[in-house]
Amino acid sequence: MSEGKKTILIVEDETAMREALVEKFKKSDFETFNAPDGEEGLKIALKEKPDILMFDILMPKLDGISATKKIRESSTWGKEVPIIMLTNLSDPDSVSEVASYGVFDFLVKTDWRLEDVVALVKKKLGMV
Amino acid sequence: MKIKTRSINLSDKILVVFFIFTLIVIFLVKFLTEIDWAYLFILAYILLTVAFIFAYTISRWFSKRLANVVFKIEEMAAGNFSENLKTGTKDEIGQLAHAVNELMSRLNTGIAQDVSKHKELSQAKTDFVALASHQLRTPLSIIKWYIDFVLAGDAGEMNEEQHKYLTEAYESNERLIDLVNALLDVSRIDVGTFSIEPEPTDITERADKALEKFTEEIKEKKLHIERLYDDIPLINLDRRLTKMFFENLISNSVKYTPEGGTVQIVLRKTEKDVLIKISDNGCGIPREQQPNVFTKMFRADNVKRMESVGTGLGLYITKAIIEKSGGRIWFQSPSFDLLLDPKKQSNVPIDKQNQGTTFFITIPLQGMKRKIGTKKLNSIE
Repeated sequence: MSEGKKTILIVEDETAMREALVEKFKKSDFETFNAPDGEEGLKIALKEKPDILMFDILMPKLDGISATKKIRESSTWGKEVPIIMLTNLSDPDSVSEVASYGVFDFLVKTDWRLEDVVALVKKKLGMV
Repeated sequence: MKIKTRSINLSDKILVVFFIFTLIVIFLVKFLTEIDWAYLFILAYILLTVAFIFAYTISRWFSKRLANVVFKIEEMAAGNFSENLKTGTKDEIGQLAHAVNELMSRLNTGIAQDVSKHKELSQAKTDFVALASHQLRTPLSIIKWYIDFVLAGDAGEMNEEQHKYLTEAYESNERLIDLVNALLDVSRIDVGTFSIEPEPTDITERADKALEKFTEEIKEKKLHIERLYDDIPLINLDRRLTKMFFENLISNSVKYTPEGGTVQIVLRKTEKDVLIKISDNGCGIPREQQPNVFTKMFRADNVKRMESVGTGLGLYITKAIIEKSGGRIWFQSPSFDLLLDPKKQSNVPIDKQNQGTTFFITIPLQGMKRKIGTKKLNSIE
């Protein structure tokens, strides 16, 4: 981990989408980790303990909600780390379930511009 | 009532025929036997009376049975296929009744098949729309984000021309996203899975919030916005849906009002309801198309001729939101008849054109009805 840079983990199964996010965050001076599914995302998260996590909901192997749950139960870091959910649909059931794990940021992908996603992450990390 | 008239009609005809026939017989008997007129009349009178009663009874009986069949056919025409006719005797009327019963049972099975087929079809259609719109959203957001990436200069500097073209592409993609979102909303409305979650809400704040979305367009077209709000207490409203229907109606007003026009938003507290009135002095809705305003994919002919974009789904969605939550929606548009003979059209006084459209909505003061559902409609909040 290079000094001073904030770290972010992006877990998204859609390659093009993951790369867009990774590149954008790199350009915005973040250190990035990424994973194509929840299982690997969970592994990286627990090992690297990034400053903020971004999970897609519908993913192979382990979905974003289950991954969130496991992270929250893992350690003190896991309890505190801000998590942002990426989704394609607004689904109140999953919203309320994830809210019980302390996740309140739901990004409906089609509604968000990339710079606004970065702005939200910076705000969450107290960078602005 | 119909049955009576018909049975009398038939009996009458039989009786008239019978009466004429009897008269002929009487004259024939007189001519052939030279019987005394007096006897003949008495005899004829008795015979006629007996015959009359006999014929009347028989014809009544026949026409009553026939009337039953007619009545049944009328019922079938009105869509009632429930009860079978009594066939009774095996004469022609009995056969007719039997044939009607047969027809009815065939129609019955046919209709049952049609209904279930129709249900299957509409379910398949809705499933398809839901699936397709969901699947479309992933590539659409990928397109959005990559254009965004390039537009932000993250993939190197761009010249002005490149920036302009890419912005066009970005905006078209946004339109596509709006359309897909709207289609998804429509499928959720059609299946009935969307939820309404009322909470105490300041309706004037919602109206202003929706209005904010159009700030730029309003400035560009130099529109006058009049906001006439009563003092309205907090009402139980679904915040997202309320903003959404305000947005849909204001969007239409802003879109279809010419430069320098006026859009008026009135919120009035009446005895039992909040009355929302959104009016403009835009192009109006052609009278002959007014009955279709709330149908899916409706876009009036006069606005299709204008250079404007729209999905034709906004009012359909708005109506569903309002009516499912216990409110009412209607509109007035005293506009000209668009499809009339062009020569006649010039007869329409100028002041009758561009009188605009006013949409009215009432929402009960006790608030929107709660609706349990698994999905939310996609407002852009």
